[in-house]
Amino acid sequence: MSNLWDLSHIQPGRADVVPGETIPAMFWNAVALRGDQVWMRQKKLGIWKSWSWRQTGDAVRELAAGLQALGLEPGQTASILANTVVEWVLADVAVLSCGAVSNGIYPTDAASQVHYLCEDSATRVLFVEDDEQLDKALEVREQLPLLRKIVVFDMKGLRDLDDPGVMSLDALRSLGREWLGQHPGCVEQSSAACQPEDLAILVYTSGTTGKPKGAMHSHRGLVYTTRGFNTLVAQDERDERMCFLPLCHIAERMGGEYFALYTGSKLNFVENPETIPENVREIAPTVFTAVPRVWEKFYSGVMIALKESSTLQRAAYAWSIGVGMRIAEKVMAGEAVGTGLKLRFTLARWLALNNTRKLIGIHRARFCITGAAPISPDLIKWYMALGVPMLEVWGMTETCGASTGVPATRMKPGSIGPAAAFNEVRLDPATGEILVRGPNVFMGYLNLPEKTAETIDPDGWLHTGDVGVVDDEGFFRITDRMKDIIITAGGKNITPSELENELKFSPYVTDAVVIGDKRAYLTVIIMIDQDNVEKFAQDADIPFSNYASLTRAPEVQELIQKEIDRVNLKFARVEQIKKFFLLDTQLTAEDEELTPTMKLKRKLVEKKYAAQIEAMY
Amino acid sequence: MSTLTDRDDGAQAPMLKLLNVESSYGPIKAIRGVSLKVRKGEIATVLGSNGAGKSTILKTISGILDPRKGSVEFKGQDITAKDPAFIVQQGLLHVPEGREVFPLLSVHDNLLMGAYTRKDRDGVARDMEMVYGYFPILKERAQQDAGLLSGGQQQMLAISRALMANPDLVLLDEPSLGLSPKLTKEIFEIVVRINRERGTTILLVEQNANMALNASDYGYVLENGRIVMEDTCERLREKEDIKEFYLGMKETGVRGERRWKKKKTWR
Repeated sequence: MSNLWDLSHIQPGRADVVPGETIPAMFWNAVALRGDQVWMRQKKLGIWKSWSWRQTGDAVRELAAGLQALGLEPGQTASILANTVVEWVLADVAVLSCGAVSNGIYPTDAASQVHYLCEDSATRVLFVEDDEQLDKALEVREQLPLLRKIVVFDMKGLRDLDDPGVMSLDALRSLGREWLGQHPGCVEQSSAACQPEDLAILVYTSGTTGKPKGAMHSHRGLVYTTRGFNTLVAQDERDERMCFLPLCHIAERMGGEYFALYTGSKLNFVENPETIPENVREIAPTVFTAVPRVWEKFYSGVMIALKESSTLQRAAYAWSIGVGMRIAEKVMAGEAVGTGLKLRFTLARWLALNNTRKLIGIHRARFCITGAAPISPDLIKWYMALGVPMLEVWGMTETCGASTGVPATRMKPGSIGPAAAFNEVRLDPATGEILVRGPNVFMGYLNLPEKTAETIDPDGWLHTGDVGVVDDEGFFRITDRMKDIIITAGGKNITPSELENELKFSPYVTDAVVIGDKRAYLTVIIMIDQDNVEKFAQDADIPFSNYASLTRAPEVQELIQKEIDRVNLKFARVEQIKKFFLLDTQLTAEDEELTPTMKLKRKLVEKKYAAQIEAMY
Repeated sequence: MSTLTDRDDGAQAPMLKLLNVESSYGPIKAIRGVSLKVRKGEIATVLGSNGAGKSTILKTISGILDPRKGSVEFKGQDITAKDPAFIVQQGLLHVPEGREVFPLLSVHDNLLMGAYTRKDRDGVARDMEMVYGYFPILKERAQQDAGLLSGGQQQMLAISRALMANPDLVLLDEPSLGLSPKLTKEIFEIVVRINRERGTTILLVEQNANMALNASDYGYVLENGRIVMEDTCERLREKEDIKEFYLGMKETGVRGERRWKKKKTWR
């Protein structure tokens, strides 16, 4: 277990762990190197089943041969429409081993979106998770003339299905076995024929405005960045990871799948998105990457548990977290932690902090990584006070994941760290926009040369759209998305994400969107945290029935007002939030208002709730 | 959308009001903060699957179970955790799940047990005739032991026994349990008649959502001990989630069949 004052175990990995200049080359080398070691684990009927490298290799070889039997040629696209499961990884690596292009589709997407993504990417083969996802594919199949075959991972409920355009994953493997009999070595050949410059994967950006854009990454970019990650946040074969974010998102694809492929750390798959809290405790990852929403949820879970505990327990927690905070402050200031404080921390861990860590499931975590969205510095400090190094990384789909990262030796909450060694990062002198250059920068947007030219300038600098500042140690700090910056009617520039992050730190607020562009004052749209607000209402005897009535209760409105007042104290007069309204429907990942990583889409929310916004002015 | 807080009650106070009621069996919380109202003269229903906490709500109202938190108000009077016998005397009757008639007493005596708290002999005699009017089969078998009745007849007897106390509010726990569709329909028709003719307010708990929504005026949906939706039954029947999860109506999609379930959103 980690202690903040001694993080010597977090060292950059310099050695080249597995050779290979393309993902398939790297994969086959890893299979040869690691053989019967475990790579992945997934629950089947409640029992964990392991996938060794050899088993994975066998499955991938058969699937790839099956895809070749279906006529999938190098450069053609296959898409995967599934939650994060082992089969996702098998299909992905099989597609890449054919020299073909792999594209992920969010399982929460509607049939119309599936249609758009398949059409835009010219998908020939579509992998779907189960009957639910199959129904989406079948609904739009007629409009996809290029689509040759749909392959289903899980055939539950489809026994009677008789459709020449649909087959099971098992059937594809059998087909592959036959094909391998006739064409021995065909997968090794197609893997070897794959070139580093070739297009490997498409990652569609969630697109807060307009249609999603397909970011193209080459094998070279993926392999280069994967190796680079090991100099930033090293891991190895002893590490246990939890695979749970959508694999279509660059964070889990790179930081989860490909990074584990390279380093050999084990991927443990969650059962489904609802069981994440239980699965974390069960898996107890040693290296844990997640998005701020997840870290916020864990934190508010602890806050709830605390409210239900006894006075003595609360006092023990308060004292212990206080000790942890003092250590965090010292470590952040770069000061030595004295023996007395270390002793007190041992007691604090024994009293409360160890249990808190266990409650979340981070008791084995060597370090945690947060990224993909802004996070409140206070939240990072809280995790540090528990004794867990929480390292913020920054990056985007177009930079192939992390591009800057906070080093364990110099933790600075609020900062995204200096540029990672594998790429250059600088600020545009005129606008303050963050620019990135390096082999990790993507190839461009599929079918959108103008958009690509707008994003990557002739010198190869990627214009990220994030505005930031850099300090004398070379640490960057994001102020906001360039297009999100608010200029009030009074002409004052305001960065909404600073206010929003402060609000989100409240256990009662899940997400917030600050409004105020060309307006006289700021207002905010708030999505409440259902569990915590329900608990508050129940404890205070506030009658409510459903979600909508909860948001309308005057006491809940007061509660949120208090949270806003607390945040307002930290900001200047022109930055005060004057009014707010609470979203009265409980949003899910299927709703258009949320990105697949469960963030509110600013532009869409502003448009959809225009009437309510107007009412605040 | 109409909700508890802005539901229009006019000048009239509700007959029954639950505020933030929490009840548990040992360490297991069965209802986790339920607030609901039943207005005078209406039939209200609580829908929910097995283990949602429906029966627990009724037991908490009738005093069999003491809530951990929250309050129950009946006709303006606080009856939280009061003695069940006292609550019956206030005019609140509970028809338990599974009928629970006295099997070795005759039908007639079972009915008299229902009138145990009353002193007005004339009234009791009138009400006896009234329930025989609603359920003529009970009159035919008045002298037989209640244990010899069929399930449907026992349910009729249980309802009649409650009516014998001349109640203002009847709590009906799953009257359709174990009954044929035909009998269920009959019983529900009579429940509605009792409500219309006698003005008896009814709070009904049911798994048979179709029946309950047709018979009732206002409905609450209970999931995992919390109310997730409330509205007039007319409007509830049109909600997507109600259709899919409670009425078994769903689009079958392109394949002509569908096994997977949509995600509940309760909108």
